[in-house]
Amino acid sequence: MKSSSAAAAVRARGPYQMSVRRWKEHITRFCVSCGLAVYAVVTLYPLIWLYLSAFKTNEEFYAHPFGLPQSWQWSNFARAWEVSGMGLSMLNSFIVTTLSLALTLLLGALAAYILARFTFRGRAFIHLLFVLGMLIPIHSTLVPLFMMMNQMGILNTYAALILPYTAFELPIAIFIVAAYLANIPKEMEEAALVDGCGYTGIFTRIMLPVSLPALATVAILGFLRFWNDFAFALVFINSPALKTLPLSLSVFATGYSTDYKLTMAALGMAALPTIVIYILFQEQVMKGMAAGAVKG
Amino acid sequence: MRAWTNKRSFITAGLTPALVLYTIFVIIPIFWSAYYGFFDWKGIGAARFIGLDNFVEALKDSVFWLSLRNNMIVVVASVFGQVPIALLLALLLKRGTWFQRFVRSAVFMPMVLSSVVIGIIWSNIYHPQTGLLNAALSAVGLEEWRRAWLSEPGIAMWMIAIPIVWNYIGPYLIMFLAALHSIPSEMDDAAHLDGATGLRKLGFITLPLIWDTLKVTIVLCISGSLKAFDLIYVMTNGGPAHATELLASYMYNSTFTVYRFGYGSAVSTLIVIISLLMVAGSQWLMKKEQR
Repeated sequence: MKSSSAAAAVRARGPYQMSVRRWKEHITRFCVSCGLAVYAVVTLYPLIWLYLSAFKTNEEFYAHPFGLPQSWQWSNFARAWEVSGMGLSMLNSFIVTTLSLALTLLLGALAAYILARFTFRGRAFIHLLFVLGMLIPIHSTLVPLFMMMNQMGILNTYAALILPYTAFELPIAIFIVAAYLANIPKEMEEAALVDGCGYTGIFTRIMLPVSLPALATVAILGFLRFWNDFAFALVFINSPALKTLPLSLSVFATGYSTDYKLTMAALGMAALPTIVIYILFQEQVMKGMAAGAVKG
Repeated sequence: MRAWTNKRSFITAGLTPALVLYTIFVIIPIFWSAYYGFFDWKGIGAARFIGLDNFVEALKDSVFWLSLRNNMIVVVASVFGQVPIALLLALLLKRGTWFQRFVRSAVFMPMVLSSVVIGIIWSNIYHPQTGLLNAALSAVGLEEWRRAWLSEPGIAMWMIAIPIVWNYIGPYLIMFLAALHSIPSEMDDAAHLDGATGLRKLGFITLPLIWDTLKVTIVLCISGSLKAFDLIYVMTNGGPAHATELLASYMYNSTFTVYRFGYGSAVSTLIVIISLLMVAGSQWLMKKEQR
């Protein structure tokens, strides 16, 4: 847009004004870029500080909060891993996240396929139901879910996390996959139907492979949500053996820990998987989460 | 005929698992808590019907209203923090060079972190003795500005609003960028020919064109404020003296720490009602404003 305006200026005012204008534009653009660079550093600084501090000694942590570590203390990570029992909580998080993802993808894709491709009585109502659920503030379900799962006897099990996680992720999963399917022509399915492929066959052999990009987005969003969840884990899990990562990290929160280097090292390790996923799949994460925010 | 029954059974079999799971864990809890809000129940033994007592108690509790006020602080900080910053960034990052895409990714980064991680990082930034903020103030010679950021009731809530704003600028930025990109470029050229530049162009051309997105972001700020729980739990647990209590943390603290499930249910129901009212209210206000 700027270059086209510069071109318009050439036509209107001749070459001399053009070069002045162009200089002005260059300078403005440079200043804006500098401002943006400063903003990016400021916004990333809490993270940069986290990772730098994770390599320091405690003395350095307060004596030189802004500098680089004098010597990089890699051993902090091993100590933090041991002290916080992170092996176990990482395993728990991994199990819960994987099973929730599998369930979300399967049920979500199936429901999305049916809602997107079939017309039947009650379809509009079911659609409305899923949209409605996205208006519910998630924390207002903590108390009733606690009471319900208490009566079902599934508190303090993996199921106490997997089932609610999946249920709350279903609307966004259905929304993403159904929106994707809306742009896929129906010819392939119709041909498959004529060839004697059942609906189940169409779903597994055509719909699942075709909607792979949408399923990938659902998986990435689900991974971030499940891996990071704190509130459900806090309320529904008591047993130390079942604690997920955010829950086991929260012991560092209470001020009970004054071993800052270990706190920082533990946080750094816990955040690493999500940061890696983010760096690999930036576009999907950003678009998906923005869409998820609008819908949920 | 056979095809029809086959299709019907496929639809039923395919939808039922998702629908059952969703209904049990998302829809029923809302009605469940509305129902148990009328009971006195400690988690064990029989629940005793007490009519509207829980609701009356909540509405008479000054901490409940303090929490609501704090939620409003989060809304104000979001509407006047997140939205303008995200909009400004979107205007500056519109061209999408590699550098601009990098800045955009950096701004979005906090969204992928667990709120526990964010909470602990910021608690350490605000730490009175070893915190980064006080260290920075000392470094630039503002020694007398140092304070215990999260322990002073007057400022604690605002200090917590800062990480909330920092955390959620990303998705708003993405929404604004999408909206700006959907403006046809002829519009920009026409604005230039008419001599509209800078603020005038923003006010008369850009803003009206992305008005719908702006509305959505404001509604999201309002509904999003009710979701802030983890940060509070990690950073202050509602203290000092309930100065940073939000509705969600009030609900948590008055249920699970004292085993009053009936009361907690009533508060949960109130949160649902408040949330729906605020979203409906904000949408109604903006519709009116537009006319």
